[in-house]
Amino acid sequence: MPDEKRLDLGKLRTKLKKHIESAVPGINIDYCLTCGLCASGCPATDIEGLDPRKFLRLLVLGQDEEILKTNWIYACTMCQRCKYACPMGIDVGRIVYEIRGMRPKEQRPKNLQRSCDLQKESNSTGIPNEDFVWVVGDVLQEVRNNEPGWANLAAPIDKAGAMYYLNQNAKEPTVEPEEMVPLWKILGAAGIDWTYSSKWWDGANYCLFTGDAMDWEMTVRRQAEVVDGLGCKYYINTE
Amino acid sequence: MNPKGSVLVVGAGIAGVQAALDLADGGYYVHLVERRPAIGGGMSQLDKTFPTNDCSACILSPKLVECGRHLNINLLTLSELVSIDGEPGDFRAVVRQHPRYVDTGKCIACGLCAEKCPKKVKNEFNMGLSERKAAYLLYPQAVPLKYAIDSKNCIWLNKPGRCGACAKACPAGAINFDDAPKDHLLEVGAVVLAPGFSPFDPSALDFTGYGRVPNVVTSMEFERLLSPSGPCLGHMERTSDHKEPKRIAWLQCVGSRDINKACHGYCSSVCCMYAIKQAVIAKEHATGGGLSAHIFFMDMRTHGKGFEGYYNRAQTDGVVFHRSRVHSVIPGKDDNLIIRYADEHGKAAEEEFDLVVLSVGLELNRNAISLMDKLGVGFDSDGFIVTAPFAPVSTNRPGVFVCGAASEPKDIPQSVVEASAAALEAERLLAEARWSKTKTKEFPPERDVRPEPPRIGVFVCHCGINISSVVDVKAVTEYAKGLPNVVFAQDNLFTCSQDTINQMSETIRRERLNRVVVASCSPRTHEPLFQETLREAGINKYLFEMANIRDQDSWVHRDAPKMATLKAKDLVRMAVAKVRGDEPLPYNSVPVTRAALVVGAGVAGMTAALSLADQGFKVHLVERKDRLWGHARKFYRTWQGDEVRPYLEDMSRAIESHSKIELHLNTTIEDASGSVGQFKTSLSDGSLIEHGVAILAIGGESFKPRQGKWNYLYGRNPNVHTLLELDKRFIEGDQDLKGLGQAVFIHCVGSRVPERPYCSRVCCTHAIDQALKLKELNPEMDIFMLYRDIRTYGKRERLYQEARGKGIVFVRYDLEHLPEVRDEGGRLLVRAHDPVLDRYINLHPDLLVLASAVVPRDDMGRLSKLYKCAVGAEGFLLEAHMKLRPVDFATEGVYLAGLCHYPKPIDETIAQAKAAAARAAIVLSKEAVPAEGVTAQVNPAKCTGCAVCTQVCPYSAINIDPATAKAVVNVGLCKGCGACVASCRSDAASLKNLGNEQIMAAIEAATEDVVIGPEGLV
Repeated sequence: MPDEKRLDLGKLRTKLKKHIESAVPGINIDYCLTCGLCASGCPATDIEGLDPRKFLRLLVLGQDEEILKTNWIYACTMCQRCKYACPMGIDVGRIVYEIRGMRPKEQRPKNLQRSCDLQKESNSTGIPNEDFVWVVGDVLQEVRNNEPGWANLAAPIDKAGAMYYLNQNAKEPTVEPEEMVPLWKILGAAGIDWTYSSKWWDGANYCLFTGDAMDWEMTVRRQAEVVDGLGCKYYINTE
Repeated sequence: MNPKGSVLVVGAGIAGVQAALDLADGGYYVHLVERRPAIGGGMSQLDKTFPTNDCSACILSPKLVECGRHLNINLLTLSELVSIDGEPGDFRAVVRQHPRYVDTGKCIACGLCAEKCPKKVKNEFNMGLSERKAAYLLYPQAVPLKYAIDSKNCIWLNKPGRCGACAKACPAGAINFDDAPKDHLLEVGAVVLAPGFSPFDPSALDFTGYGRVPNVVTSMEFERLLSPSGPCLGHMERTSDHKEPKRIAWLQCVGSRDINKACHGYCSSVCCMYAIKQAVIAKEHATGGGLSAHIFFMDMRTHGKGFEGYYNRAQTDGVVFHRSRVHSVIPGKDDNLIIRYADEHGKAAEEEFDLVVLSVGLELNRNAISLMDKLGVGFDSDGFIVTAPFAPVSTNRPGVFVCGAASEPKDIPQSVVEASAAALEAERLLAEARWSKTKTKEFPPERDVRPEPPRIGVFVCHCGINISSVVDVKAVTEYAKGLPNVVFAQDNLFTCSQDTINQMSETIRRERLNRVVVASCSPRTHEPLFQETLREAGINKYLFEMANIRDQDSWVHRDAPKMATLKAKDLVRMAVAKVRGDEPLPYNSVPVTRAALVVGAGVAGMTAALSLADQGFKVHLVERKDRLWGHARKFYRTWQGDEVRPYLEDMSRAIESHSKIELHLNTTIEDASGSVGQFKTSLSDGSLIEHGVAILAIGGESFKPRQGKWNYLYGRNPNVHTLLELDKRFIEGDQDLKGLGQAVFIHCVGSRVPERPYCSRVCCTHAIDQALKLKELNPEMDIFMLYRDIRTYGKRERLYQEARGKGIVFVRYDLEHLPEVRDEGGRLLVRAHDPVLDRYINLHPDLLVLASAVVPRDDMGRLSKLYKCAVGAEGFLLEAHMKLRPVDFATEGVYLAGLCHYPKPIDETIAQAKAAAARAAIVLSKEAVPAEGVTAQVNPAKCTGCAVCTQVCPYSAINIDPATAKAVVNVGLCKGCGACVASCRSDAASLKNLGNEQIMAAIEAATEDVVIGPEGLV
């Protein structure tokens, strides 16, 4: 047994575990039975040499450096499949979120961080808001003109007092705008009174996956303000 | 107030049945209330039982039959307790009996009602895997063996006039659609609750696939799939396509040890063992072998007597064990199921199975919850009835006791122990009312028939149409009339019906019959009834023979009625030949010396002594040491947190001041002789004690690993302790413990190893409780538990959860990765392996605690020989039957309790000691105990005194008389098994009424007068 793999636990220090326990009320990492149920069900098991059980074990045995270093936190999608069936209800996804947030920005996956940063400016692909308004109008016109039966299809933007507010994943208006149409048709066929907004319209929340609470809160809050401003009663999240 | 001499027992599973039998045999009248139409409970639905692999119904059935026939048990089936008020000793209970719509006095269980009933419903006894009719028998061995009509589904009862097929078909006129509910007001002195368990319903755990994908079944459903009386008649089939499964997976802890979706934090205690048993039995069932059985588990909990050996054998026999809790069951091709699992090091693998069994846990019987609320007994947070560690079968309502799985999930032996203990508590409360409510059968004096020539009467039964539809009963009766010495023969529609029985008694007197043959169903169920009829008619009951022309004739030769009639004649002829030579035999009995000897004054012995003395029985309590308390002196507290010392001090005071207890300290047993009712024991102080019963409570020892593989520097480094040595420091209030920085516990020191292959049961819980105590003293202390499987069974699991919650770290080891302990300049270094990370860890404890084994006492063998008791392979005393007679020895009148039986915690020791006292009280409460009538006898003229018989006798009932050098039989001990007869070289030993002449007469009768019928001899 090479010495570098031997854990010296002469004094058990679990600083990170304690930090997470104070940051996440109600989580009890210590309850882990090491039963392996999470690892059995996790799609990220055995990626980067880890799985949810090993991840928790490192925390319990105070191997904080290793936890902060591992890229397994990005293999875990925080889907919470493990938590659903975990006999102790331990939310590994929530812990991963905390650890992701502790990772310095420059060490996070570049695309993820860039999307978040762009979203903080306007939307996650960074297209100008005018482009979004123009693309929606253009695609709508095309459908009205070319598709029989849809001459009256609507895709309202900033319609005050609409019952439903709809957000939009920025990827679609940016690279595949016709993908927006099916949902418009469904809403139209159902007779729903809805609207987009011309700013903070991006519903994807990349900042959630960076683990930055302030950033994703800001994203959500701005949308909420828009919805309130328009006086919509319901918020439809497409993500 | 005069206490009432009757007891109400609620629930007639194995626990309720055992409590009822102990109480009724011990002098109390019992009302046994059962919600279902038949008694037997969950045990009646099991296929086999661990660890003996006995057929569950076969070992249960005799107890049920005994309950059904008992003069002092009032069986109230289809009944529920409505209310109870009053106080201990004097309760008034209202029991509502729902209508059966079948007159039990008339029903002969022929089954025609069910055959003709057109309404099919799900069979709940088979867990809904098959159908039954609205008119039904709960299960084939049901007691009472009476059909019932289920009012919810019966067509007539819902639309009178629309069906009534059963009433038309019933040959006995037993169907009564006008049956109505009856309320019984019962005056009882005490109540024993035995409502039992419900299996956990896994429907809510969607990830198990139960109820969503085919071929996922619960363990209870699988019991029925294995059972010969189940939906596939014992040919193991999966549910979707009736194919025999070739690959089966068991998933453990479904509904147990799960505070997330199942909301059950406790361990159900029995599932590990029943899963192993099912895997083993399923492999036996598989045609051509080759069944692949996989058990997915977390901790393997085989903590009971004989369990670890069973687990080891299962591994050797190819059952595959995966230490992994499975996330979900995924449907695959052809109704197969995919299980993905991670091995202990995190490698994911996938396997396909054709059947998945969910090892579901136990909950308090759902039907009982509202009742328990009404009774005002307390529940704990897990939904079980609350008891206290030093009063393990008492609820918080005085006079109301509980036994079985209702207070905690537990196995059958422990339920049986508690049942007897609950009976004891009721007896203790009602001691002065013993025999006040019981009935005794009075018989007229018997006529001496020996001078008379044989006058044989033959009664041939139609059994409704069970016999007469195949066998020509009239012809058999006519044939019987012509046999030598037969002076009377008659056929009856139902020989067992009350009016026929009365008539038979009348006939015996009128015709001056002195031998009787009944040709009917089976002696298994009916011989005692007919023998009793002989006694009522004033002749000896041994002048009786039965010809089994139903179970062994009409039922098995349905297709050959002529041959069946010939066979019936043969059987009757043989019975007549045999009965002709029957002699009246004495109703042997042994007068009872109404005193008990209790050996050992630890918790078990003290509890047993007080339990008997409080009922007014004299007790000799013998202890080899100079003080009471035994091992319990060294214990700090129970796992529930109660300190042991105050309890021991209370018991000491009670024992020392008790007028009925004679305490012999510093005393050992020198010699013992005699048998049940009349033992004589000589003590080292020179006294000779006469006693009717003996309870062995001789304790065990704590293993001290002074050398060898399990030493871990014990005795060489002052900071290495055993559990009991740490307890001593707790008792003394040692303040140094607060200053410790790190403590390490090593589990299984000397247990579960090749030289001691059993689990010591108590150490996991004890060690975890100690770790928690250390945390109480110093919350900052690092504590590591090096364990193999955590076995905090039942409610103890909460302690394990609490320990983890407080940051105590559990690191598993196996025999390939034993911890290493080194002394580095006075400082301890422990090297262990963490299997999850697959890395080694170094620990530097200030305190190392060894959870060492509980071992049997070394002088166990000597004591067991004196009282003719067996010792098991593990060195502990061996009870009469591991499942159903957990405190009896095969030798009658001798009982056991405590550590000498197997390692166990204080609460279980107390329950077992009370159970032993209850069993002993059955003997002590009587003037005399009955002994076997059909015993061996020795012809001294032929006996050569070779003593072979004395060696083969399993009951030590035969000895060589030194004066005559001939063998003599002690009829008090003889069970009439015939081993001596078979072994006697000079033909000197014989069994009464089973001598050569009689057996030969029956054999000769079998071969004479054989007529080859038109169908030939088959």
